Amino acid sequence: MYTPRINWIIFSFFVLISVAVFVASLVSPLVRSYSYAPLRDLILPPPKPITLYVLYSTEKDAWIKEAIQIFEKTNPSYEGHPIKVEVKDMGSREMYLAVLDGKEKPVIISPASSLQISILQDLSASKFGTPLVEVSNRNSCRSVFSSPLVLVAWQERAQAIWSREPGKDVWQQIQKLATDPEGWGAYGHPEWGYFKFGHTNPLKSNSGFMTILLLTYGYFDKTSSLTTNDILGNKDFQSWFLGLEETISRFGESTGTYMRDIITYGPSVYDMVSVYEATAIEQADNAIGRYGELRVFYPPATVLSDHPFCILNAEWVSPQEASAAQIFIDFLLSEPIQNLALMRYGFRPAEKSIRLDQPGSPFVRYETNGLKTDLPPQVEIPAGNILNTLLDFWSRNINR
Amino acid sequence: MRKRFLQLIAIVQIWLFLAAACEGTGTVPGLGQRAVSVSIIYGSEKQEWLEPLVAEFNASKAKIQSGESIKVEATPMGSIESVHAIIEQSVQPTVWSPASSIYIPVANAEWRKSHNDDLVLENTKDLVLSPVVIAMWQPMAEALGYPQKSIGWEDISRLAVSEEGWAAYGYPEWGKFKFGHTHPEYSNSGIVAIIAQAYAAAGKQRSLKSEDLQNPQVRSFMADVQSSIIHYGTSTGFFANRMFERGPSYLSAAVLYENLIVTQESKRLNGESQQLPVVAIYPKEGTFWANHPYAILNAPWVTPQQKEAAQVFLNYLLDKPQQMRALQYGFRPSDPSISLTSPLDSQHGVDPQQPKTVLEVPSADVIYSIQSLWHEIKKPVDLVIVIDTSGSMAGKKIGAARSSLVQFINLLSDRDQLEVIAFSSQISTLTELSSLGEKREDITRRVSGIIEGGDTRLYDATIQAHQSLMEKGSDKHIRAIVILSDGQDTASDASLQEVLNQIGSKSEESESAIKIFTIAYGDDADEDVLKNIAESTGAKQYKSTPENINKIYAEIATFF
Repeated sequence: MYTPRINWIIFSFFVLISVAVFVASLVSPLVRSYSYAPLRDLILPPPKPITLYVLYSTEKDAWIKEAIQIFEKTNPSYEGHPIKVEVKDMGSREMYLAVLDGKEKPVIISPASSLQISILQDLSASKFGTPLVEVSNRNSCRSVFSSPLVLVAWQERAQAIWSREPGKDVWQQIQKLATDPEGWGAYGHPEWGYFKFGHTNPLKSNSGFMTILLLTYGYFDKTSSLTTNDILGNKDFQSWFLGLEETISRFGESTGTYMRDIITYGPSVYDMVSVYEATAIEQADNAIGRYGELRVFYPPATVLSDHPFCILNAEWVSPQEASAAQIFIDFLLSEPIQNLALMRYGFRPAEKSIRLDQPGSPFVRYETNGLKTDLPPQVEIPAGNILNTLLDFWSRNINR
Repeated sequence: MRKRFLQLIAIVQIWLFLAAACEGTGTVPGLGQRAVSVSIIYGSEKQEWLEPLVAEFNASKAKIQSGESIKVEATPMGSIESVHAIIEQSVQPTVWSPASSIYIPVANAEWRKSHNDDLVLENTKDLVLSPVVIAMWQPMAEALGYPQKSIGWEDISRLAVSEEGWAAYGYPEWGKFKFGHTHPEYSNSGIVAIIAQAYAAAGKQRSLKSEDLQNPQVRSFMADVQSSIIHYGTSTGFFANRMFERGPSYLSAAVLYENLIVTQESKRLNGESQQLPVVAIYPKEGTFWANHPYAILNAPWVTPQQKEAAQVFLNYLLDKPQQMRALQYGFRPSDPSISLTSPLDSQHGVDPQQPKTVLEVPSADVIYSIQSLWHEIKKPVDLVIVIDTSGSMAGKKIGAARSSLVQFINLLSDRDQLEVIAFSSQISTLTELSSLGEKREDITRRVSGIIEGGDTRLYDATIQAHQSLMEKGSDKHIRAIVILSDGQDTASDASLQEVLNQIGSKSEESESAIKIFTIAYGDDADEDVLKNIAESTGAKQYKSTPENINKIYAEIATFF
């Protein structure tokens, strides 16, 4: 059997090309991810993963953990580098303070609302010269879903004061009721004692911060152009505001645990609290087994806990990380993950095509408890320095 | 050769076995397994729930991350008493779980006198909940209008001070209204009871100020309520047991926790108790919650490993199965997903839709003021101390008895009246019943000089003490006798039956019956007789030795 020499040459050449293509394909980031792992790692060590360090506020804990699990199953990568997500939960204020003093160096921060981003912009600009968040760039901060601040009361008690809706001066009514020495006696129920309103500690929890902001707007009966002079220069406002705050016996540390306490202790300790809509949804079923149904009221103007995901404009964030972060945020905005946020956790998706009134949605299930798909108007979020003035004022006079 | 080979195999097998065993425990067995211990001091009301859980948790061999296994030891103690013990560092627990958070600000204030930080940091988790209620026999509650009419601290207080008592409600046969709560310096329900009385006296439900307590009307109202108290006590659990054992002739009502009523009613419904049904009255002005906080102490003796281990045990207690069990003991679980169902129902004397409101927890300063006011106005005690000085007391016994008696007398206030009787073959009165204030030094000197010798005339001495108290004591005061004896009666003229006739004929009917506490001192004491005497008056018999006699006297002091 004789094989012509030319055949050997062709054969060898073909083999060489095949091997070269094979090796090249394993090296190429595009093909790598589809090839057999031990073999590709033998030829070239795997590319370094891009790790996205994310600080997030506690209300979205369960949702984000579930979302990350699904994200990592899709083998996400950027330029061939697999994307890994590492997360840490934190109070919203604690979060921006930790970033400011360098204790934390995340790629993404996601506090409960844009209020904290507004403060971080203000404080970081004065500390570093440039703000850590570029709000002008539409892609650097994107809200994934939102939940408005609402008033939650026990059904029986809610009916005693507002058989239908509270009306425009809701904050004045609450202030008056809470400071009335007659308490519930003024509404024919002396057995309920004094009226107990509550919210979380504004220094530790965003919903408490949002509440004192709405109270302040409520006193001045406006929804925009709040000034530092409104807070510091108006004695009537101060005594009205502090009068209400002094009736609150305990400020919660976080919205979630505060709401748990409300369900556990019942109306003897809390008549009405101001929390997120999603928090009320989370506990609505538990409430029935304890002290009866909850009733949700929307204040005439509210503020949203809009859960922005912001990529930091900081020296410790590489362009590669910033791009990978965009991929992650895109994923959070994808339909299945947005749907999960609505159906299981009661958040309002940022993706507007998802209907709140679809079958099985908590907005349908708890409609009789007062849940509404239409949002009331929102107050203007003041500049960082005004927000800080309000926090300082509360902290100096009430903090305990 | 073959044999050596087999030996070699056997050795290898043993090593493999040991290696496998070590894998399981993290350490070589027999060398003493490393363990991190978690000691817990807790309010006794949750003993029935907690004790079996501690045993089960320890058996599960749970570990901290470094591989050390966790050993939990839990000891019940009065919630206020335990604060003082921790501040003095006579106990150094890892975890403190009092009945409620009400006293935490006071504990922190005390701790800060010698430390730079709080003893209990914020964010303690609640284990279980139970409201503070007034436990009352159902027929009596119904006479007050239960369940249609809501009843408050004020109603109870007025009833407690009324001369007419139950006759005003058409039940003269029930006599006066007999009210009780525990000692506010030892037990949470006691401090809660006097805070609630202060609110009722001031006609407030919140913002109670120290100035309110200066008001003469507030003071006289509180003093009146205290005058109806049968006796105090160190633990709410014991108080409840006495009430449920002895029935309505002993106490009409007491300040307890809802869960204690549920457990009693479960027993009654099972046929374990033959008592009348008892119900919870949720005071209309509001009450307080016993929330059983679990505080991992911020104290220098708590190591990071212990903190971690204490957290593991906490997570276990908060898990659903353990929380479901709490419901069976009448607690309201701290897990909001657990519904308030049976046995939290009217069949068990309680209403899970109550309470409707709470009283505001006052600041530490106001709590201090209420406590010191209570000291001034509390019901005084007319006390006869009876001490055995027979020959058998010789040696260590008489020495310890003398010194602990002096300390016991120091716990009494100047307004209390005291008589001391020593008995052997003779019965001698060291001091007649009169105010302690004027004779404290003298009586201390005389007690320190007691000497032993002679027989034991226990019965005669008991009768004499009882007669003396009946004649000279005031029925506006707590009247009590404390007898210490180390042996059998050998020389009395009277018999045990005569003793029981003397004390029994007066105890049940009289509004402020004389309580006789007895101490069986040493191994030869006649425990049966002493128990018989004590229990026939509704008091308690203690077993004691020269080593712990101090503690026993201190515990008896909490009843006054």
